[in-house]
Amino acid sequence: MGPGVAWYLTVAGFLFATGALGVLLRRNPLIVLLSLEIMLNGANLALIGFARNLGDGSGQIFALAVMAVAASEVVVGLGLVVAINRKRITLDVDRLNTLRG
Amino acid sequence: MIWGAWICLLSPLVAAVLITLGGTRTSRRTAGYLATASCFVAFGGALASFIGLLGRDASQRTLVSTAWTWISGGSYRSGLEVIVDPLSVFMMLIVSGVGALIVAYSIGYMDGDDEERRYFAYMALFVFSMLLLVQGGNLLILLAGWGMVGLSSYLLIGFWHDRPSAIAAAKKAFVMNAIGDATMALAFFLLIQKGNSLEFGILGGEFSSTVATLVALGLLGGAVAKSAQIPLHTWLPDAMEGPTPVSALIHAATMVTAGVYLIVRTHAIFEQAPKIADLAAGLGAATLLVAGLIALVQVDIKRVIAYSTMSQIGYMFLGVGLGSYANGMFHLMTHAFFKALLFLAAGIVIHALAAEQDIRKMGGLRTLMPRTYWAFLIGSLALVGIFPFAGFFSKDSILAAAMDHGTYGYILWVAGLIGTFLTGLYTFRLFFVVWWGEPSAFVREHFHALKRDVVGISMAVPVGVLAVLSVIGGWIQFSPWWHPVETWLRTVAEPVVTPKTWQEWVSIALSLTLGLSGIAVAWLLYGARRFAVPRLPFAQRTLEHKFWVDEAYDALFYAPSVFLANLLRRGVEGPLIADTGRDLGDDTRDFGRIVARTQTGLLRTYVLAIASSVAVLAIVFVAVK
Repeated sequence: MGPGVAWYLTVAGFLFATGALGVLLRRNPLIVLLSLEIMLNGANLALIGFARNLGDGSGQIFALAVMAVAASEVVVGLGLVVAINRKRITLDVDRLNTLRG
Repeated sequence: MIWGAWICLLSPLVAAVLITLGGTRTSRRTAGYLATASCFVAFGGALASFIGLLGRDASQRTLVSTAWTWISGGSYRSGLEVIVDPLSVFMMLIVSGVGALIVAYSIGYMDGDDEERRYFAYMALFVFSMLLLVQGGNLLILLAGWGMVGLSSYLLIGFWHDRPSAIAAAKKAFVMNAIGDATMALAFFLLIQKGNSLEFGILGGEFSSTVATLVALGLLGGAVAKSAQIPLHTWLPDAMEGPTPVSALIHAATMVTAGVYLIVRTHAIFEQAPKIADLAAGLGAATLLVAGLIALVQVDIKRVIAYSTMSQIGYMFLGVGLGSYANGMFHLMTHAFFKALLFLAAGIVIHALAAEQDIRKMGGLRTLMPRTYWAFLIGSLALVGIFPFAGFFSKDSILAAAMDHGTYGYILWVAGLIGTFLTGLYTFRLFFVVWWGEPSAFVREHFHALKRDVVGISMAVPVGVLAVLSVIGGWIQFSPWWHPVETWLRTVAEPVVTPKTWQEWVSIALSLTLGLSGIAVAWLLYGARRFAVPRLPFAQRTLEHKFWVDEAYDALFYAPSVFLANLLRRGVEGPLIADTGRDLGDDTRDFGRIVARTQTGLLRTYVLAIASSVAVLAIVFVAVK
C-alpha cells in the first residue's frame, strides 16, 4: 500500500489551485489552456484517489472520460489560438473583450 | 318538380362560382352571358315548379326537400331545405324572371367597365341570395339568405370602389341592414327558447301574447330594415351610388321586397300580435307619405325613382300589415315590373347622356329617344296606377283592404290616397322635366343614341319586355271581379280582411281621380308651365334634407359614438393601454442596461464568477449535509 487518500487529495487540490490561479492570472491564452489542463488533471487525480480508496473502478472510468473531453477541448482551444494568431491579433485574453455589455 | 326548385336555386350560384374561378380566362362578355343564362335557367326551374304545383290539389301544394341536416344540437334540428309552395314559387318567378331581364340589360350597360366579371359574379350571387331567402324551408335558411342579400347589396352598391361616396353608401346599407338582422336573430333566439324550432309551422303555435309581440317586433325590425321603411330607410336613396341595373335589381326583384315576403311568410305570428301588424301598416303609411314628399324635390333621376320605391313598398307594408297578404304580394309583383322598367329606362337615359343623372340638365329627350320615352311613360303610368296599367290593379285593392279595418284602417286609407296624389305629382314631375320641352344645351352636346349592336339590343330588349309586362301584368287580378293571385296564395296566407265590393269601387274611383289630378298638377307646373312652381323655402329645405333624418341619426348615434370613442382614447386607451406598453418596454431596457454592466468581456471575471459560485454551492452543500 502506498500513501493514504489524504495525500492524493492534497496533491489534487494543489494542482487544481495552481491551475485555477493560472487561468485567473495569466493573459496568454496558451498558458490559460495549459492551466485548464492542470485543473482537469487535479480533478482526475482526486477521482482516481477515491477510486483506489473505495476499491471501486468507476472513478477511473470517469477519469478516462474527462481525459477524452479535455483532449477535444484542447483541440478546439488550440485551433482558436492559431486562428487568432493568423489574424495578427495580440494573444492577450484581456484584450479579447468584444463581448463587453 | 322539387328538382326545379333546386335548379332554380343553384344555377345562379354555379354561375357566380364559375365566373370567379374562370378569372381572366373567360372574356368579359362570356361572364355576362353566363350570368344571364344562369338566371334564365333559374327562371325555367321556377316555371317548372310552378307548373308542377298547378297540377296538384290546392291542399297538396306545400313541398319541402331537405338536402341534409345543417345544424343539430340537443333536440333542436335545422335542415338545409327548400320549400316549394304557392308563396315561394310566386317569389321565385319574380326574382328569377325580372332578375334575368336586369342581368341581361347589364351586359349592355356595363360594357367596357373595368371589372365586368366581378360585377356579373356579384349579380349572380345576389340573385342566388334572394332565391335562397324566398326558397328557404325554415327560418334559419331564410336568415342565411337574408344575410347574404345584405352582403351582395353591400358588394354591388360599393361596386365602383374608387368612389368614396359609393363606399360610404355601401357601408350605410350594410349597417342599417345589420340592425334588422340583429332584431331578427333575437326573435329567432326567442322562438328557439319557447318553441325549440325554426320551422315555419312553429309560428302558428301557442305563444303568450308577450312572446308573440316580441317575436313579431323582431321580425318587423328585419323587414323594415331590408325594405327601407321608416325608421331604417335612409340607406335606400344612398344606394343609388351603385350601377343602375343594381338599383333596378335591389328595387324590383330582390332585397327591398324581402321584408314584404317575410311578413307574409310569418303572418301567423303577426296575427297573434295584432298591435305589431298595425305598427307595420302604420310604418308603411308613414313611409309612403314621407317618401312621396321627399321625391317631389329630388333632382337626381335615380333618387326620384328610389323614393318612389320606398313609397310603393310602403303600400305593400300597408297591405300585408292589415292582413291583405295576396294584395301586398300582387303589388310586389306589378311593382317589380314597372319599377324595373323605370330604372332600366332611366339607365338608358343615363347611358345616352354620358352618365349624367341630374334632371335639371335634362329635358326634351322625347324627340331624341322616342321608344325609351314610351317605355318610361308606360312605367310612370303604371306607377301612378292609371287604368289599364299594372299598378292600377294592385294598388287599389290595398286601399280597399284598408277600409275594412275600422277607424285605424280609414286613417291609413286617407294616407294611402294622399300618397296616390303625391305619386302622380312626383312621377310626372320627373317625366315632364326629363322628356318634355326643348332639348337643353347639355342634352344637345352630350346625347348619343343606342346603337344596334350587342350593347343596344341587350339594353333595349329587357326594357321592351318589361314595358309589355307593365301593361298586361296587372290584368291577372282585378279584385272586384276575378282574383287568381288571392286564390293561389290562400293556402299559405289566408287574408284577414275581405273588403266589400263597394269599398273596392270607392277606392278605385278615388285613387284614380287623385292619381290623375297629381298628373294634372304636374302637367300644369312642369309640362305646360302654366304656373310657376310655388316657393316654400322652409318646406323645400325640409324635403331636400329628407326631414333631417340623416342629420338626426348623426346627432343621435354617430356624434355620441365619436365622442365616446375620443373619450375612451384619451381617458382609457392612452394612459392605460398605450402607456403601459411603452413603460414596460422602457423599464425592461433600463434593467437590461444595468445587467449588461456585468458582462465585462474579460475571461477572468467569468472564471472567477463561475469558480466563486461553485465554491459557494459547495459550502452550502456541505453545510446542509
